[in-house]
Amino acid sequence: MISSRTSLKRRLTLWLIVIVAGLGTLLLIEAYTSARKAADRAMDGQLEAASLTIAESLQWPEGKPTLEMPASALQILATRWQERVFYWLQADNGVSITQNADLPITAAMQEQARHQPVYLDAVYDGRPIRLSGREVDSAGWDTQEPVQLWVGHTRRGRDLLAQELFRKSATRFAAMVLITAALVAIAMRTMLAPLRRLRQALRDRRADDISPLTLGVPQEMQELIETLNRLFADQRHHRDALLRFIADASHQLKTPLAGLQSTSELALTRRDPDAWYQALTTVHDSAERTSRLAGQMLSITRLQHLAPGHGRQPLMLDQLMREVAIDWADRQDSRDHDLGLAIDVDTPVWVEGERWALHELLNNLIDNACRYTPPGSEITLGLTIDDHDGDAERVILTIEDNGPGVDTESLARLTQPFERGQRQDTHGSGLGLAIADSIADRHGSHLTVSLRDPHGLRVSLTLPRCAPFEESET
Amino acid sequence: MRRRLHVGLILALWLSLWLPPGLSPGGPIGVAQADEKLIIEAALDRQIVDPMLAAFAAENPQIDLDYRDRSTLEVDQRARDHAKPPDVVISSAMPWQMALSNEGLAQPLEAPEVDQWPAWAKWRDEVFGFTFEPVVIAYRLELASHMPPPETHRDLLDLLTHYRQWLDGRVVSYSPRDSGVGYTLLQQDARYTPRMWDLIAAMGAANVQLEPTTQRMLEGLSDGRYWLGYNLLGSYALLWAQTHPDIIVQVPNDYSLVLMRMAFVHRDAPHPAAARRFVRFLLSQRGQHILAGQTPLFSVRDDVIGPYTAQRLRDQVGDHLYPIPINATLLAFVDSLRRQAFLRRWDREIQILSE
Repeated sequence: MISSRTSLKRRLTLWLIVIVAGLGTLLLIEAYTSARKAADRAMDGQLEAASLTIAESLQWPEGKPTLEMPASALQILATRWQERVFYWLQADNGVSITQNADLPITAAMQEQARHQPVYLDAVYDGRPIRLSGREVDSAGWDTQEPVQLWVGHTRRGRDLLAQELFRKSATRFAAMVLITAALVAIAMRTMLAPLRRLRQALRDRRADDISPLTLGVPQEMQELIETLNRLFADQRHHRDALLRFIADASHQLKTPLAGLQSTSELALTRRDPDAWYQALTTVHDSAERTSRLAGQMLSITRLQHLAPGHGRQPLMLDQLMREVAIDWADRQDSRDHDLGLAIDVDTPVWVEGERWALHELLNNLIDNACRYTPPGSEITLGLTIDDHDGDAERVILTIEDNGPGVDTESLARLTQPFERGQRQDTHGSGLGLAIADSIADRHGSHLTVSLRDPHGLRVSLTLPRCAPFEESET
Repeated sequence: MRRRLHVGLILALWLSLWLPPGLSPGGPIGVAQADEKLIIEAALDRQIVDPMLAAFAAENPQIDLDYRDRSTLEVDQRARDHAKPPDVVISSAMPWQMALSNEGLAQPLEAPEVDQWPAWAKWRDEVFGFTFEPVVIAYRLELASHMPPPETHRDLLDLLTHYRQWLDGRVVSYSPRDSGVGYTLLQQDARYTPRMWDLIAAMGAANVQLEPTTQRMLEGLSDGRYWLGYNLLGSYALLWAQTHPDIIVQVPNDYSLVLMRMAFVHRDAPHPAAARRFVRFLLSQRGQHILAGQTPLFSVRDDVIGPYTAQRLRDQVGDHLYPIPINATLLAFVDSLRRQAFLRRWDREIQILSE
């Protein structure tokens, strides 16, 4: 079959050739048949004339049919192509009156000719001939027996005439094909011109040019252009996001570094070891935060560049949650918060995922909740069945707090990097939810952030359950 | 090795020099070809056509010519003999020749001579009229001393009417029953004028004698048995008159039929190559030149000069020469029913005045 890499022009040409050849064969067969029919029609007239001339000469003296063969009838029968001529005259009782050839006339043919004059193809002496038969009857004083008169001739004239007609048709057809080919070639050039223009426009583009294409192209190609433009827009968007991320990251890193610098400068002007100690503590805290920030930035960049779905395997989500919760309960960061676990599903809950990523997700979500809620807030890590489709095939992982929440405008932006929901009072980097969202994205889900009544924030994501992983049991 | 090759080459050259020309490979005349036969069945007197045959034999010494001279009806029978078909069929019985072609017994000939041949003298590129023989009246010289010599058909009728006693039993013509030529000529006469039947009746009244060939008529005229002959082949009559000054040949002045001898290559010719060569020779300029110069058969071709050419005959006799057309109308003459009817009428007419 035609490979999709073959040039459009070649494909079009090939199809055209196939169509023209197919149609042409049909047309030529039709032309040949109709040429033969036309030739037969024309020449059957000669048969009829000869037959009538002979019929006119028939006489019934004393009731017996007899004939003085008219010379002109044979001349008409021979035509200008000098055919071999045949005639055959038989009385009703089957007795031959006169004939010049033993024509292959069957009883069926005779029966046919009895009702009306017939014209038939036959083979005589190994050659195709054309026959015409008629029954001749004449009024008279006595009853006269009817006679059957058959005349025929060879097909030379018919063949020549048919050939001539066919040649004319074929010539017309060939001319038509040539004209069509020329027109199609021109049309093809015209049709393919927009493609060439597009290719030229793309080739002339600078590598960093991501402005939309503006080209006058046919409707069918407009979609392609639109797709390209969408791609360009995506690219632009992506690049903008990247630039913003870099700008934000620089800014985020600059602030603690500036703090470090000013603290250490201030400490250097002092001679008091206590002040040094204080300054060093501040520097230490600041360095730790900066290091964590850098780690998170690394994490999000890594998440965005790793191919999704890599290293996925079935794991017990409820177990993982339990481990993370226990881990957090021991930490300093969550000491002031009331961290709870509410698993409201038949365990174990198997999902397919990357263990490290889900671990990171949970860490980030809990860390986030701890950071942005005042001490003493309740933080609940929950797992419920998604009863939207009612088949318990999906579970919803949630983390809820009863902190202050955010205002509605920031809600949608919370999963973007460096977004803190208008909060400047924490040491959070604003990357936690962005990382969590990236991980959710890798698992074919996404974070949904909503406000709780009366206050608080609820972050959730839906994950599909999967079949238990047998080997991990053992 | 190379030396041996040389020796072989020289040996071959030496041998080829010593071989007689007839045996050398690819030579013009091979021994094997020398006895190529050619069977011609012809209704054409050998002595008349002899110069043609001699010229052909001289040009084609390898062909063994078997020329069989017969009557027209015999020739027709031979041509239909499927067991022993001849190569070439020549006959003056034009309708029968046409019938043979119509029955598919002739094979078409492809040659430049055929393309050049006038369309009115050929049929289907199979059968060719290669002579142009006027049909004449012949009479004894002494006839003129008793009555005005006939120059037209009407004169003939007048003579038969006014000098019936004189001419009683001394008029001769073709027998339409025994001669295809005679039958054809009468049919053609009857096509041109219905008064032909008056002539038949008058001849019948004068106790016309019927002969199967022109030769017999001429012999009778020379013997003095006959005084007046009607519908003789001009070719034979003219040749005869050259050696028999007491016989006068008259091409009728009102109209004169012209008969053409027709030749074709038989479909089942056992020696088709030789047959084609012979017919091409008949039609060629050289063949026709011999025809015009050395036989009284009259050449059909315009580009041939000689005493006996169609062109010269036209110049001498005027434009009342009516060649019997070579076309399908001739086939009607051989229709058995038509032939029977014609002969019945002939029988009736020839007796109509005697009763």
